[in-house]
This record gives sequence, structure tokens and C-alpha cells, in this order.
Amino acid sequence: MVGGGKNTLSGSAPTANGHVKESNGFIPHSNGHVPHYKDDKIKKMSQESFEPVPLLVACLTYLGYGMLVLFGYFRDFLRKSGVETTHSTIERKKMRDFVPLYQSFESFYTRNLYTRIRDCWNRPICSVPSAEFDVSERVSNDGNWHLRLTGKSRRCVNLGSYNYLGFAEKSGPCADAAAGALQQYGAGVCSTRQELGNYSIHEELEQTTARFLRVEDAVTFGMGFATNSMNIPALMGGKGCLILSDELNHASLVLGARLCSTVIKVFKHNDIEDVERKLREAIINGQPRTHRAWRKILIIVEGIYSMEGSIIKLPDFIRLKKKYGAYLYLDEAHSIGALGETGRGATEYWGVDPRDVDIMMGTFTKSFGAAGGYIGGSKRLINHLRAYSHSTTYACSMSAPVAQQVITSMKIIMGEDGTNRGQLRIKQLAANSKYFRQRLVEMGFIVYGNDDSPIVPVLLYMPAKIAAFSRELYQQNVGVVVVGFPATPLVESRARFCLSAAHTREMLDKVLDAISDVGDRLQLKYSLNPPTKGVFAEECYRQVDCLSHEA
Amino acid sequence: MEQMDRTQPKDSPRVPVGTMGDGGTTYSGVNPNAVWLNSRGIWLSYVIAVTILHLILLSIPFLNVAQAWTLTNVVHNIGNYIFLHMLKGTPWETNWDQGKSRLLTHWEQIDFGEQFTTTRKFLLLAPVILFILASFYTKYDPLHFVVNLSTMLLVLIPKLPQLHGVRIFGINKY
Repeated sequence: MVGGGKNTLSGSAPTANGHVKESNGFIPHSNGHVPHYKDDKIKKMSQESFEPVPLLVACLTYLGYGMLVLFGYFRDFLRKSGVETTHSTIERKKMRDFVPLYQSFESFYTRNLYTRIRDCWNRPICSVPSAEFDVSERVSNDGNWHLRLTGKSRRCVNLGSYNYLGFAEKSGPCADAAAGALQQYGAGVCSTRQELGNYSIHEELEQTTARFLRVEDAVTFGMGFATNSMNIPALMGGKGCLILSDELNHASLVLGARLCSTVIKVFKHNDIEDVERKLREAIINGQPRTHRAWRKILIIVEGIYSMEGSIIKLPDFIRLKKKYGAYLYLDEAHSIGALGETGRGATEYWGVDPRDVDIMMGTFTKSFGAAGGYIGGSKRLINHLRAYSHSTTYACSMSAPVAQQVITSMKIIMGEDGTNRGQLRIKQLAANSKYFRQRLVEMGFIVYGNDDSPIVPVLLYMPAKIAAFSRELYQQNVGVVVVGFPATPLVESRARFCLSAAHTREMLDKVLDAISDVGDRLQLKYSLNPPTKGVFAEECYRQVDCLSHEA
Repeated sequence: MEQMDRTQPKDSPRVPVGTMGDGGTTYSGVNPNAVWLNSRGIWLSYVIAVTILHLILLSIPFLNVAQAWTLTNVVHNIGNYIFLHMLKGTPWETNWDQGKSRLLTHWEQIDFGEQFTTTRKFLLLAPVILFILASFYTKYDPLHFVVNLSTMLLVLIPKLPQLHGVRIFGINKY
């Protein structure tokens, strides 16, 4: 505590008792933060809403799950006593005296809750997942234990694919270039990067990626999940390291963190105060028993969280990491290509220097219509990863046509192909996201997440409504993804819409009418906040001329 | 000896995500059984469920008020014991903790083994309040008192922190 008087370092006036709040030289909003953004824009950009569940809805949801559990026990009793045929795996008679392989309680949920509505997931599709796709129909005679294809398919609007910029196409410049790469390099690589799998197309891909991200260098891998799980151990090897990981981090980040021999501390989702508190505790107390200083501290966060639609508060994290000397690992799987004026991701969205983020990771699966992942950063970091990553050492490298798809789509986004198609796609995506979200909020649904994110989760809450929503929309030719417990909290089951630049306004209007109709019939319009009409960003639509894209 | 993994957020009602698409088996870090009793509205639903049970019992014609209250108390306590202290593990697969929670009852899994959290206090208070109400409505009759007290003890003793992980005579160990 510094007493009395003006403290010019801190820039904040002392309070009545002389206590100056921040006297360690920290000036708010200056570290890692471009000064021409005013505070009100920052506040506006972090417009996120997570309306809490209405109490009545929560009670009915618990009642619903309670009834399902009671009926589950009843059905299990019927199965055990032989009244009903058992479809799940049971032990063979002659193995009965051995220790059982399966614990039937562990599959209670799968047997009695999941299987009843299993037809809403794993739906086979038989076309390219662009703005519309063909979903194969399935029927079942025994309550979804066995699903049979009928041979027919439905043409549905695709709201489930991570096709943010609409590059999931089977014709067009990307497809032609990928076909050319297939002719030149073949389909497979048959080797790892460090042996004979380092093609010139991989080098070109990495240079293009580094140029796109505005970092010094980048390294790419064949699988997005493996980019996280194979590289975090290469970065955090050895004892004495600490990982601070967000609550809602993806499974690949959790697995990567657990594969190192580090201490992992989890902080509350997007909560800067919690991170700061945990950082301070960690630095003050040191390692668990010996109290030595930590060798390094890594903060792992994501750009957009795919289940919530929330965007990370990047300037605050950069300020914290600079203040306490930690490293920042940013997983931009869903935000690269989707955020920012030229699609450069969360750093461009917030206006921070990409070199402030130590490790920028992302995937090519979502916005680029390909597969694989990348890590961008300083040359030293990338050289280290090229030598020590588990993926470059043991995993086969990316297939050539996939790499070419990424290169072509990245060039289109950057505008290096000479047209403004990339910019049009980005603007169309932003317009679609804002429009779709605002219309849903106006209708009265509870929608989570940031206004700018292309992921729009709509809360369904009750277990039966998860299935009803999915099936009803399928009947109206809309394909959606629904998620429930235990992947989400018990009461917060949701339908997650992923907007795409390939969606036209007519498609979205048709979909919104269907959603409104289903929402009325299922009584899903739970929001207690009064809807405001006509607030959506109409001007975004005026800027977009016409997006010319192929099927 | 360190009891449970304390590296998880304490009052968090949110769990990390996986996909529901494969039957509820997720690779994430948190056992949902440890946190779902902290969700919004769950305590109110618990009270409502007990009230509904009591109203059902009251509407059976041949039971008088005292018997209905004792039966409510007994049924609630037996349900409490079965679901919290008898059933072990989770009704979904736990790929993330190598089977550590398979040997633990639901009570021991709550809040990752941390004692004296508000959820545990609530679950401790519920049988006590029901016992007090049942004693009042049965007019402190000796037989009812013995029944109510014994079921309440059946439910309260396993909740003591000293009995965390204890299996008497090896009952319910595996």
C-alpha cells in the first residue's frame, strides 16, 4: 500500500485514506491494447449474454430427468426379469463367475436416456456439407437399438457444420486446385514430417499460414485434435511447470495438458479476476511442496468457445500475461476466419498485436473447409516444435490435396487471388450471424454467447425437448445439432446453430420461420427479457452485394 | 493423504464439454456427478419432490396423518440412503479418472470430496427437518419416534466426514 499524495506512476488518484489502488506501475488498458480503441467500444464488443434459467423451467427439467430415471430403473427391472428383451451387451453365461467386464450401472444413462433419442445424432449424410445437404433417413423398430437406412434422403439446410466461410464446396477454385494437387502429389504421404513426408506443398502451406496470421513462422499438422494433444506436451515438458486452463476448454486441450507432467489449475470461464487470483497465488506460493518458483506458466484459452458462443477477452489476458510473466496459448479453432474484419481471428477482432500471443494455434477444419491444424509464433518456437513435436516425429503429415485446399482458401480470404470474394464471404458471415441471432432474440428464445460469434446456442433445457426439437426441425428440412447432459450442465441442454457465409438470407428466413413454429409448439420461448424489434444490423446486409459461390 | 483431485473449480455449475453423440461418454475433466447438485433450482425441486411424495401419501385413504408423515420420512430417508450412500460410481462412463469414482458413493463424489460445502449442508439438513416435522405431527408417539429416529440416523451417520470412504465390515466395498 502506498500512502497519500499523488502517485504519477499509477495514474490513479488516491482515495480518502491515502490508499492508492494500483501502484505497481500498471496502467489499465495500455499493455497489449491498442490505445485508439475507446473504452465504450471495448464494452460494446464484449456484449455477451448468458441469461440464467427461469426457476420454473429448471424445476420442470429436474422433474423430467427424475421421471426418466425412475422409468429407467423400471425398464431395467423388466429387462432383468425377462419381460423385455435385452439389447445391450451382457456377459456370457460361462463367464458369470469371473469379475464382470461391464458394470451395468455405468451404462444406465446410455441405455435408458440416450438410446431412446439416439436417432438425433450420428445422422449419415450423403452429400457435401455446404449450405444445404442430403441427410439419409433412418427408421427403427425396436426403440432405436437398431437403426436401418431406408435408402431415401432429405435435402436439409445445414446449420450444424462448421462451415463458417462456406468453403465446403465440391466445385470452384479450391476444389480445382485440390484436384490438381492430387494429380501432382497423390493422395497419401506415407511418412512423417521429419522423415520423408515434408513436401514442398507443406512448406508453401506454412509460409502462407504465417503470412495470414501475421506471425514469424508456422508449423502445420494433419489433425486438428492432435495439434493440441501432441504439442502441448512438447512445450511444457519437465517438472515445475504450471498450466492455467479455462473451464470450458476443448477435450484436445485437456488431453494435451494432462499428457504433460505439469500441475493444472482450472479457472472460471472467461473470468479475468479468477485468472489473476490464481496467477498471484501460484507465483506467491510457488510449486506445491518445495515452494520453488515455477519454471513456466502457460495460460490456455480459446478464441470462441464452441458450446457457449462466447469470445475470449483477449486484451485482458494479454495484460495479465505481461504483468505476471506467463505465456499465452490461444486456440483459435472456431475464431480463425470467422472473427475480425479480414478474418484473421481474435487478435484482429480485439485489435491486439498477434506477436503478443505467444502460441497461436488453430485448425483448418472450420473456416477453410479442410482438415488439420497449425501453430504460429516466433521462429524459435516453431523450430523447437518442428524438432520436438510428437506429431512431426511420429504422425504422418497432411495429405497434399488437403494442404492445397487450405492454401487456396487462405489466398482467397487474404485477397491474393485478385478478387474480393474472401472479403464478401467474411462480410456475409458477419451479417448472417448478427441477423440470425437478433431474430432469435426477438422471437423470445434464450440465446447464449457474444453478438459477434457465428455460433448461436439456443437453450432447450428439458430432455424431451432436445429430441423433439431435432426431430421436428428435421421434418421441416433443417439439420441442427443438439447437445444435452452430460456434455453440458444438467439443466442447460441446447441446440447449437453454426452460421455460414454460404447461407443466403432466404435460407435463413425459411429456417427462422421453421424454428419459430417449432418453438411455439414446444414452448421454447423462455426469455423473460422483452424482445426489441428491428434491432438487427440491417446495414451489414446493405454492404454485401451478392455472394457468388458455387453449389 | 490428499483425498480427491482439488484442481477443479469449486462452485462451478458448468462442466467442460464433450459431445453427446456417442452415448454420453465424453473426454472431459470433470465428473458431472460432483456438480449437478449445485445447479440452479435443484434444492427447490428437491423440496417440491418431497412435498409431492407427502401429498401422495396423505391422499391414501387408510393412512392417518401420523402414519403418512412417518412414511414420508421413512421413504425419503430410504431413497436418500440408496441414491447417496449405496449406489456407487456414475450412471455414465468415466473415461477421465481411470475408474476412481467407481468405488465412491454419490455422497463421496459431491464437490470432489470437499467437506462442509453448502450442498452437503443442505442434504444433511433435509432429513433433520423432516424428522422434526414428523415428530411434531405424530405427537411424539414412542413407536413413531423410534422408527423416525432410526431412519434419520441411518441417513445422517454416513454423511459424517469421518466416515468418508469408510466401508463397515467391507459392505459395499467394490
